[in-house]
Amino acid sequence: MLKEDFVIQSNVRQILIRSDIDYSRITFGTVKGVVYLRGVFKSAHLHTDGSGEGAANITIKSLESLEKKVKGIPGVIDIEFELTNWTKAGGQWILKRAQEDGGR
Amino acid sequence: MDSEKSARRRGKVKWLRLYRRILTEIEREIKIHPAYADLQNQIGLLLMVKGKTEKAEHHFLEALRQNPKYREATFNLSFLYVETRRWEKAEEILLLEVKRHPEDAFLHQLLGVLYFQTGRKKQAAGQIHKAIQHHSYFRDYYSKKRVWQRGVVHLHRKAEGVLREIHWSHHSAQFHNFIGLYLAKKGKPRQAILELGKAAGLKPDEFVFHANLGTVYAYQGAYPKAIQEFQKALKIQPFYGMGYANLSYVYGLIRRTREAFRCMKKAVRINPQYADLRYNLALLYSDRKRYEEAAFELKKALRINPGYLFARINLGVLYEDQERWKEARREYRKILQITPEDKHIRNRLERIS
Repeated sequence: MLKEDFVIQSNVRQILIRSDIDYSRITFGTVKGVVYLRGVFKSAHLHTDGSGEGAANITIKSLESLEKKVKGIPGVIDIEFELTNWTKAGGQWILKRAQEDGGR
Repeated sequence: MDSEKSARRRGKVKWLRLYRRILTEIEREIKIHPAYADLQNQIGLLLMVKGKTEKAEHHFLEALRQNPKYREATFNLSFLYVETRRWEKAEEILLLEVKRHPEDAFLHQLLGVLYFQTGRKKQAAGQIHKAIQHHSYFRDYYSKKRVWQRGVVHLHRKAEGVLREIHWSHHSAQFHNFIGLYLAKKGKPRQAILELGKAAGLKPDEFVFHANLGTVYAYQGAYPKAIQEFQKALKIQPFYGMGYANLSYVYGLIRRTREAFRCMKKAVRINPQYADLRYNLALLYSDRKRYEEAAFELKKALRINPGYLFARINLGVLYEDQERWKEARREYRKILQITPEDKHIRNRLERIS
């Protein structure tokens, strides 16, 4: 499979635009088929950072959906999340802290 | 016949509902951000369409108080004064604007309408002549309507209708564009395209309408149409750098990287200070194994924005690929100074240390 970083980057941009994520607080890059996503992850429909059970479930679903879509782009070999408010540990998404900014 | 009538009625009800929803939403936003000139202009436009000229005037004036150089608000206010036959006020604004922007065809056009309606035909012809000189759209339109013939403006019997038609077209186009953008923002691309299409149909020379259409088509995944609209926008405005960038992204989505490369190079040439465009151009160079040029673009991006982490990661990996270990280590260490927790970069650094 041809790994064209620009093609991957364009697809990531398109996925973010079409998602229900507030992508204005996320930056992304592609290096040899590895996609990096950094910043604050927030669902566009939520007015919180995702804390609170209902909101957390929605955010986790958004994160899982984003991960799946990005991994589905031809040529993507890995995805690295460096989010200030969410982290993945043992295959589970965990809210780090209710902090609003950073990472950009 | 009856079903046609009821369909029209249903359409009108639907439209009114949408109109009210947008109006309520903008009123709510204005309460939160009373100092946003954009919102003041938008609500003025909505109120004017409904004939609420007094309220509309208040909002346009507020928009101009917040941003005295706001071109659209100036146009809208002078349009409102022309429509309400407050000629002196309209003339005062337009003459001031023409002094600031003597090459703005639309301003001359507006002045032409004003002079014509106040019986100053000679001055009206002069202004229409200037509008024609400054923009081919007016030349084509007036030639078609026989107002412009063999280099002379003819203000014949039907000219008033012609002048008013073009005058209204601009205003209606702005309105449809605004509604289209609102619908796009709400995730309704199909309806947005209809509105933006109306705007572009009314004023085909406005590059922004085509660019907006291109953006919504791209969002929808209708890439050939998106390409077509971006190309139209760029034909009208060849120095629209972001138009080239957006076109490049669309080509990227359909793997036409040769065209993407050509467009991104143009985007960077027009906007050399946009770090993100340089980053994308670097990816295109790197994909072509033109590593020297890729490194050059990444360094430029970093000079513009030293905190551009991805540019530094790509540069580090690029050095690593070329076995320039010392430079690669230097870039990775700089990244870790900013993000000490980055395991991926730490692993890369450990591997080459």
